[in-house]
Amino acid sequence: MCVGLPARVVKVHQGMALVDASGAKREVSAELLDELDPGDYVMVHAGMAIARINGDDEEEMDDILEDLD
Amino acid sequence: MRTEYTQTALQIIRSYDGPPVRIMEVCGTHTHEIFRLGIRQILPSQVDVISGPGCPVCVTPVGYIDEAVWLALEKGVTICTFGDLVRVPGSTLSLAGARSRGAHVEIVYSPLDAYDYARQHRDEEIVFLSVGFETTTPPSCLAVRNARRDSVTNFSLLTANKTMPRAYEAMKDSADAFLYPGHVCAVMGTGDCEAMVQQGVSGVVAGFTAKELMTAFAVILKKIQKGEPFFKNCYPRVVTREGSRTAKELMADVMEPCDAEWRGLGCIPQSGLQLRPAYAAWDARKKYGIPLIEGRANPACRCGDILQGKCKPPQCPLFGTVCTPEQPVGACMVSHEGACSAYYTYGGNIR
Repeated sequence: MCVGLPARVVKVHQGMALVDASGAKREVSAELLDELDPGDYVMVHAGMAIARINGDDEEEMDDILEDLD
Repeated sequence: MRTEYTQTALQIIRSYDGPPVRIMEVCGTHTHEIFRLGIRQILPSQVDVISGPGCPVCVTPVGYIDEAVWLALEKGVTICTFGDLVRVPGSTLSLAGARSRGAHVEIVYSPLDAYDYARQHRDEEIVFLSVGFETTTPPSCLAVRNARRDSVTNFSLLTANKTMPRAYEAMKDSADAFLYPGHVCAVMGTGDCEAMVQQGVSGVVAGFTAKELMTAFAVILKKIQKGEPFFKNCYPRVVTREGSRTAKELMADVMEPCDAEWRGLGCIPQSGLQLRPAYAAWDARKKYGIPLIEGRANPACRCGDILQGKCKPPQCPLFGTVCTPEQPVGACMVSHEGACSAYYTYGGNIR
């Protein structure tokens, strides 16, 4: 139940977003995120987009490791 | 671009030669991903990973299942629930068992789906089993807020929502560093985790991919050698310092803190959430006058010790014999996110 699913926003309409998670599409609530646009990536939990995803994990890892000492 | 000076996460992890370290993760998805990706095998032998109380199904007490079964069988309500709760044993029956005696149990992916079901079936009474941490609580709150707005009265929540910060405090002597749950932090921000440093508790927020988990372990093993408590957000592409203000406001509007029982850990004061009085009409306990039910777990089940890192699943006398994913006794075996389920599934990879 408690699994976060990264998904791409396809369409936003009246507080709901149609998202595409590796091909699986469904409507989720977009009420927690302002100014969501098609093409944005979000983290979906139990039918609700809870956070925006900024960037990929490769860049993130490099930044953190470079900053380590 | 990686510079030639940057050590890779793998090098940092493999070259760790410091004192023994206990790292506790408190997220069911971390439990499974760490096993699935084989990260345990690359950790030096003095680094121990403990699966703490991070799976919402696993920490839900037996008495809660009994309440749901009572509602389904005595009151004839339709139970809408996440699928992993259905086979969790109650004192006498699981919801699956209740269903075989005629109970109506619907599996949903989201509390919002449960609310839609209620709107489409106005002649039924719908109770959604509202378990979960700060990641799953916002959609529950939204569902009940929408029900109040729309004056939909055949929908209510049986709450067992929990919040993580008190659990970190309760578990702080069981671990040397926490792998904080990335998506709880995405909602709540990192303030609670940063505050743990003042109590001498270290930890990093971790994401869920191989790169993110490796980075998180590398940061812990590097920083812990300095001997000072630390905090680092290792999942900045999703987690911000502030978290989601909208989600926090939504939760504060609909729910208020309460004492909560955690399976195996007992009652942790102010670690749960219940509906505010304004939402009493959508609170299943008030609506149906559920009697006080004291759940009885199988006394041989060691889920509680496992959640505290006091033993590993294979040390439980029931593990893999009496208790399997097909015939689970304890919640940690039922839920796919539970530690026992992970040990069972990835049996060849454990240590």
